[in-house]
Amino acid sequence: MHSPLLRLSLLPLSLLGLAACGQAPSLGEQLATDNKVELLSQGALLAATCSGCHSDQAGAMASLNTYTEPMLIEAMGRYKSEREGTTVMHRLARGYSDDDILALSAYLGTDKAAP
Amino acid sequence: MIAHLNRRHILQGTILGLGAAALPLPALAQTSARIVIIGGGFGGTTSARMLKRFLPNAAVTLIEKNVQFSACPFSNLVIGGARDITQQQFSYDALAASGVDVVNAMASDIDPAAKTVTLNDDTTISYDKLILSPGVDIRWNAIEGYDEAAAERLPHAWKAGAQTELLRQQLEAMADGDTVIMTAPAAPYRCPPGPYERASLIAHYLKTRKPKSKLIVLDTKDQFSKMALFQEAWALHYPDHLEWRGAIDDGAVNRVDATSKTVFTDFGQASASVINIIPPQKAGSIADRAGVSDATGWCPINPLDFESRLQPDIHVIGDATIAAPMPKSAFSANLQAKVCAISIARSLSGLSPEPTTLANTCYSYTTPDQAISIAGVYSNASGALESVSGAGGVSPLGTDLSTRNAEAAQAAHWFETITAEAFG
Repeated sequence: MHSPLLRLSLLPLSLLGLAACGQAPSLGEQLATDNKVELLSQGALLAATCSGCHSDQAGAMASLNTYTEPMLIEAMGRYKSEREGTTVMHRLARGYSDDDILALSAYLGTDKAAP
Repeated sequence: MIAHLNRRHILQGTILGLGAAALPLPALAQTSARIVIIGGGFGGTTSARMLKRFLPNAAVTLIEKNVQFSACPFSNLVIGGARDITQQQFSYDALAASGVDVVNAMASDIDPAAKTVTLNDDTTISYDKLILSPGVDIRWNAIEGYDEAAAERLPHAWKAGAQTELLRQQLEAMADGDTVIMTAPAAPYRCPPGPYERASLIAHYLKTRKPKSKLIVLDTKDQFSKMALFQEAWALHYPDHLEWRGAIDDGAVNRVDATSKTVFTDFGQASASVINIIPPQKAGSIADRAGVSDATGWCPINPLDFESRLQPDIHVIGDATIAAPMPKSAFSANLQAKVCAISIARSLSGLSPEPTTLANTCYSYTTPDQAISIAGVYSNASGALESVSGAGGVSPLGTDLSTRNAEAAQAAHWFETITAEAFG
């Protein structure tokens, strides 16, 4: 199984202990805390759709593992604005608001964990 | 427009149910709740895996009566002779290895008040949250004469496995020049474009291997999913091997005689050496035992978290639900499983479910290497699933075949991804 969501488990262990220390962590710390981000972010909820097709394996459908947040925003914006294409992505992208696309891209972007 | 928004703003804006101030962190991942899931298809397996990952200390139990799963998507390729049945079969070993307690048994009863599931060996399992992903059951005798015994002569093949192989064997055994009949039901039923994909692939088999034979599709409807695209493909590929007859042309079959292999409509009858009855369906029968199905035979749900409208703490996902316009598809079941799992994990942590945007994609093969697609995007924000206007739709008509080849390759990739997510 290669869900994009699993990538979160690769975050540094040092971040994972913060939730248990008794102090209310900052939002950034909460986001970095393993599976909490999957349960608390709108991006994770939206991205549940993406992983129905996109896995770690690139092939007839792209792997999103190579997509940074700006790349995702650009690609979704292009799918949304172009007239038509040869995949379902144009038809799907037109159903997502700009806020949806930002949240999705922030969640899935491979550069998200960077400082 | 959207590209220059600041990412920090975005992240803060997307925290669900939590303000920017320091709030008590929910006790996520610490619950020892008992979560029971009935049905090991695309919905059940995905929800089990997700919940075990979100809530490692929870007891997650999957109850499934078969030791091996047979996937419906792509099973029409098996019927058409373009794929081996073993490529449809998946084990539950990986799911068990991930920490889910996989129980090979049939759930015979549910007591929503006591919050217990009874198995067919009279074992009882308690739950805090129950997810039903029971798929569909056939409405036996809704077509007069079509019962379980009749299905051994006139296969439905609408649950993959032995029925798939039976229909394939009958097609292989028939003589060149024999007629094949397929019947298609009224909506709602599992996989709306499925009958027409199957018709395409049977016609392909006849054209290439039994060119004097012909498939006649007798339909209870006058309109069907991806209709213009299928009819374009049929006119191109199968003008001599596939005839479709809608309700307006007396296509609705209301009675069968399995012994003589005959189907009856209002005004006529027809016999054939192979008859594939795709019958009316309902939610899997355990939904009735749980009290989560209504008079339609299907299960009303709250689309925010897929909790039953009829029983608290029981969630229903997949084909059994009333989720239209979201179709009864493996893609839908898999996505509903994820949304349901996130919502249950939030609920056990004291957080309410949040509205979101969902989508579906279904590919259908028109030949073994050409496919067409339909996509839809849905919002659950109003408390009902509603199509997002301006989005979704089908592959373009009149396109070159390279697009159809590309969509066939995309379909195959989708199947690999979704089966890996459920069973890998």
